[in-house]
This record gives sequence, structure tokens and C-alpha cells, in this order.
Amino acid sequence: MAATKIAVYSISDLKNTTDDALPNYLTSLKFKQSHFLTDVRLALGYSAVVIAAITFYADYKLGWDKTKYWTFWAVLVYFTLNGALTFWIWGVEKGKVFAGQIDHPKVGRKSPLSIASSVAKHTPIYNITVEYSNSKGETKTLKLSSPFTRWFDVNGFFVAKPFQQWLALEIPLIGQVDPKNKDDGAKSAASANGESEVDGPVEDEKYDTPKKSTSSDAAPTSTRSRRGKRG
Amino acid sequence: MLGGLQPRQLLTQLLNFALVLSTAFMLWKGLSVATDSPSPIVVVLSGSMEPAFQRGDLLFLWNRGQDTQVGEIVVYNVKGKDIPIVHRVVRRYGGGDEPLQLLTKGDNNLADDTELYARGQDYLTRSTDIIGSVIGYVPFVGYVTILLSEHPWLKTVLLGLMGVMVVLQRE
Repeated sequence: MAATKIAVYSISDLKNTTDDALPNYLTSLKFKQSHFLTDVRLALGYSAVVIAAITFYADYKLGWDKTKYWTFWAVLVYFTLNGALTFWIWGVEKGKVFAGQIDHPKVGRKSPLSIASSVAKHTPIYNITVEYSNSKGETKTLKLSSPFTRWFDVNGFFVAKPFQQWLALEIPLIGQVDPKNKDDGAKSAASANGESEVDGPVEDEKYDTPKKSTSSDAAPTSTRSRRGKRG
Repeated sequence: MLGGLQPRQLLTQLLNFALVLSTAFMLWKGLSVATDSPSPIVVVLSGSMEPAFQRGDLLFLWNRGQDTQVGEIVVYNVKGKDIPIVHRVVRRYGGGDEPLQLLTKGDNNLADDTELYARGQDYLTRSTDIIGSVIGYVPFVGYVTILLSEHPWLKTVLLGLMGVMVVLQRE
């Protein structure tokens, strides 16, 4: 992904950029992404749009009196599809930004993984809900949070390493697939804890390797309750 | 900005834009179906109904129940002309088994509407000419559409702005 600069005070920029980085990282680890959720959303949405387009064209060509009867049904079907789409986005997708699976490196079984993300209004903290199956094949759910400062530098550039380390460290399935990032993540977390007394503003010259977390980074690893999905 | 997007992301963005437009259109059509009127909301374009309605008032129409009475304000289209006219019913003929026919007049006009009707037409036929009776109004807010129809380029600008905003924004 090309490094694009974002406005660091825009929560939706932070979230969208991070959301985009997630599948990039996971597919690079040979996770096979499933587009089922998006495809259903697109199918529902575009069917509705096509119905509206046909209604528009028929109305334009034939006028109201001739199309009255079919317009009734078109309106009914349109809003039914629209309702189904809304339900799909809020009730089924629930903010999922990645769904996929991987041939588990140790167990030799396919392990599914899905990640839903959310942010609370005006709070620069990235919340994810992870569902994955562990080495025994049981489905586990994890709720994780981290401030965006962990992987965005002061200039608004996304830094991939600390983000990947965070995921590899906190999510066992990713840690097993990507042990290097897991170990590096563990190291930087340990050093951050050791130096937690010396915190302060991040100096400019360090922004390209911000693995030294400030204490504010280390604190909110605790889970937070999720709010409604945005975006 | 759009260049870096995956095809599915691009399709999703486009879908958001298309849904805004199509939902607006289908809401309008839904209102048409509910009121049985091809144009359930109209804007007053002239001062011929003053002081009841001013230029720019937004009128809500209802076209179910065809037994229109004298004193009701109706909106009608004259054959061959596209502009809807809002005037009051001053006389009715027929009704019951015969088709109901109406004569209208603007409150602010000196004469009745015979002059405005199509050539050779002395009255309106309720079932074909009238697109609804006025059941409610909001003063002035329709003035935007008068501006838009008097300066058509504003429409293009507005639509273009909407499109650009929806495509570029991911909120």
C-alpha cells in the first residue's frame, strides 16, 4: 500500500487507513481472504439501484399513468432490498474488515479468522474484535484495543511494523503464522515497560521507527466495550 | 485518491453514491404511489393565489378521493403545457355517474381560468387533468427550486458537488 499521509486528528482517516492495512498484512501472511460479506452487500445494493434505474427509465419514457401499477411493486421491492442491505451491514457484517482462513502451519487444518473494527466517537483508539479458531479447532473471541499512535507517526504516515507486531503479539493465530513479528512485538513491549518512567512527546527523529511506545501506548491494552460500527 | 482502491472498495464507494440518488428517487415515487399523484409535492410559481399562497411555497397534494368540492385548491396540468397551475375550484359540473368537471380561478386573478385552458377547453376533467388537491403547505422553502429552474446551471453544479462529496468521503 502506498504510504499516504493522513490528518492525524481525523479519527475516520485513522480508522480507514488501518482498516485497509489489515487485509494487506494478513494476505501477505498467506491468509486467504473471503469476500463473501462484501459480495452479498454489493449484490443487494446494486439490485436495488438497478430497480430504481429501471423505474426511472420507465417513468421517463411512459409517464405516470402507464407505470403506476409497477411503480408500486418497484418501490416495495426497492425498500425491501434496502432494508436487507441495512440489516446485512449492521447485523451481519458488524464492521468486519477481514474474513478469511489459513492452512494452519502446525495443525494442518484450515483455521478461520475474522476481524471487526470500530472506533468510539472522538476517541483515537482502535478497537477490534477477533474471531479465530485455535490449534484445537475451538472458536475464540478476542477484544483488543490500541491507540492509533502505536502505528501512526506524528506526520500522519502509517508505519506497518508496530501494527503487525501488535497483531502478531496479541492474536495467537497470527503469532503462530508470523513468529518474527510476534517476538519483535514482545521485545518492544518489554522495553516499553522498562522505560515507562521516561515518557514524553515522541521526538521527530524517531518517527520512522516508533517501536518505543510511550506509556500511554502500553496502558490501554485493556479491552473496551464496542460502540456501533461507523463507515 | 480513487486510484489506490481495490475493485470492491471502488464498487462500494460507487454504491454509496448510487444509493443516495436512488433512495431519494424511490422515496419520491413511494410518495407518488401513496398519494396517487404523479407529482405529490409542487412549488407555487406565480402570485395568482395570493394571499393564500406566495411564490415559493411548497404544497403537498393528495389525489385519492376524486369528489372535489367547490372551494378546494387543486393543481392541474393543461394539455400541451408542462407547468402545473395551482388554483381554486369555483364551479363543478357533473359528478356521480357523469365525469366530474371543474372550473377554476386564481384568488388573485380577475377572471376565471378559461383563458388558461387548452384551446377549445372550457373546463377541467377531474380524473385526467388534475394531479391533486392541496392538503398542506410550507411557506417559502420551495424558493430553492425556483432559483434552480430559473438558473439551470445551478442544478449541474449541485449534482456534481454531491457526486464528488459522496465518492471522496468515507465516513
